[in-house]
Amino acid sequence: MQLAKVQHEVRMAGAKLPPIALPTNCPGCGVSLDPETLRKHAYVCECGHHFRLGADAWIILLADRGSWHERWGDVRSHDLLNWKVPKPYQATIDQLADEGLNEAVRTGTCTLGGRPIWLAAFDFRFVGGTLSIVAGERLARGMEQAAASGLPYLLVSASGGARMQEGVLALMQMAKVNAAVGRLHSSGVPFFSVLTDPTFGGTAASLALLADINIAEPGAAIGFTGPRVIKQATYADLPAGFQSAEFQLARGQVDMVVIRTELRRLLAHLLEMYP
Amino acid sequence: MTRHGRRLEETTLTVWQVVELARHASRPYSLDYIRRLAPDFIELHGDRISADDPALVAGVGTWHGRTTVFLGHQKGRSLKERVARNWGMMHPEGYRKALRLAHHAAKFGFPIISLIDTPGAYPGAGAEERGIAAAIARAIMEWFRIPVPIVAAVIGEGGSGGALGMGVADRVIMLENSIYSVASPEAAASIVWRDNSRKVEAAEQLQLTSRDLLAMGVVEEVVPEPEGGAHMDFDAAARVLDEALFRHAQPLLAQPADVLLQHRYERFRYIDSLIHAEPHFGPKID
Ligand SMILES: [Zn+2]
Repeated sequence: MQLAKVQHEVRMAGAKLPPIALPTNCPGCGVSLDPETLRKHAYVCECGHHFRLGADAWIILLADRGSWHERWGDVRSHDLLNWKVPKPYQATIDQLADEGLNEAVRTGTCTLGGRPIWLAAFDFRFVGGTLSIVAGERLARGMEQAAASGLPYLLVSASGGARMQEGVLALMQMAKVNAAVGRLHSSGVPFFSVLTDPTFGGTAASLALLADINIAEPGAAIGFTGPRVIKQATYADLPAGFQSAEFQLARGQVDMVVIRTELRRLLAHLLEMYP
Repeated sequence: MTRHGRRLEETTLTVWQVVELARHASRPYSLDYIRRLAPDFIELHGDRISADDPALVAGVGTWHGRTTVFLGHQKGRSLKERVARNWGMMHPEGYRKALRLAHHAAKFGFPIISLIDTPGAYPGAGAEERGIAAAIARAIMEWFRIPVPIVAAVIGEGGSGGALGMGVADRVIMLENSIYSVASPEAAASIVWRDNSRKVEAAEQLQLTSRDLLAMGVVEEVVPEPEGGAHMDFDAAARVLDEALFRHAQPLLAQPADVLLQHRYERFRYIDSLIHAEPHFGPKID
């Protein structure tokens, strides 16, 4: 691939992200927000605050234009445990589907900077980006195919953990997915993980922190147990920045903290370095 | 349900009564079973990096004529011991100790017995600071690479990722009055209702009893407990557990490592295949 073409592909200015729900003022700096300006900056405020993106936005942000080929998008969750309270699970997922969301994980193939890859993106808007049977199945199938075809695997996570409403079968997805992660590593295929706000519970304790290179977004909260539960269980006072991306960098869990607007360029470069 | 011992009968207990039995203060804990299964058990300590986690006991013992690695969450009996054992809630060092012993077993070809009895991994600041998420993640991934037979049994509480981190095995069985869940009823209530006092409702919703898990295809067998529960007769409970563990381990001992690992992969890869979410959903990959 010619360098000029790569550089052109890597620029993200042309990528038009979908509108996202925004507060009136930035929680980082308090300045009132202009949605159009923010959209052009990949929803990163001038102060550095990163707003959460859905899977649709991540696909647009990372995949070369026109290259996205979604897989297993027709496999849908449904209520297996007859979960009724506080809201019937089936009604929850039907409503989210009506809003145009397709599960907590979307996966497929695309190119990034001209290089074919597998991409999986969590969507926090779908039941908190929780790991479900369908999410686990999409992840495991993608990793198995990446291992078989030799394509690099790129993950973007944003998840509260395993999905309560699918009970112990949701828990088992951690094993199902990690079995596939092990095979991905054995195959020699590069695995890059982008951890975004928030990545917790069963997702942090399965695939998200097991990549060859773990990249976190600035300020992203990453951990196993959420701060509310830690306080409830141990009455501990957690310092500011506890479980932040920077905290995880200092403790050796992530390789780097990277601003979203630099991410595509970095990934394209990594894909060149890990053939 | 079992070929030997007492037949698994219908239960008249409520879900919450089962939860209380699983957590019963005089229920046998891992060491009570291990010392009966292998009276010559020798405990081994430490993750060889920084610490020893007392919430997980580990060691070697002779079991049915064969040196076997035993691992088990250990709750404390007295208040002092409970504090020392951290109520069976492991820190990252515990998962590293488990993996160290798993590689030890692999070196010598010893089978591994893992007894699960934990409310979950420790939900505290220290565990977070030392990387509990990655420690569990790595453990779950590594279990798929340990080329010796592994049989796990849930003997009390199987809580969340903290339990699954010790629960990747060739066979997983449960004692009748044990539970296995995506989250403890209290944590689930806290997540779903933001109110952990609604634990009874949460427990009923979670489908966490041994019978539920057997029906979902997540465990291979439910081992009937002595009348009234395992705490009524430690020796009898250990006998039925021993019999079931060995019955599951025996065919695995004859399997070549590559077959063993392939079957372990498939066991978890298709663990939800009893549930056909969609007509084309399941083991087939296009
Ligand atoms: Zn700002």
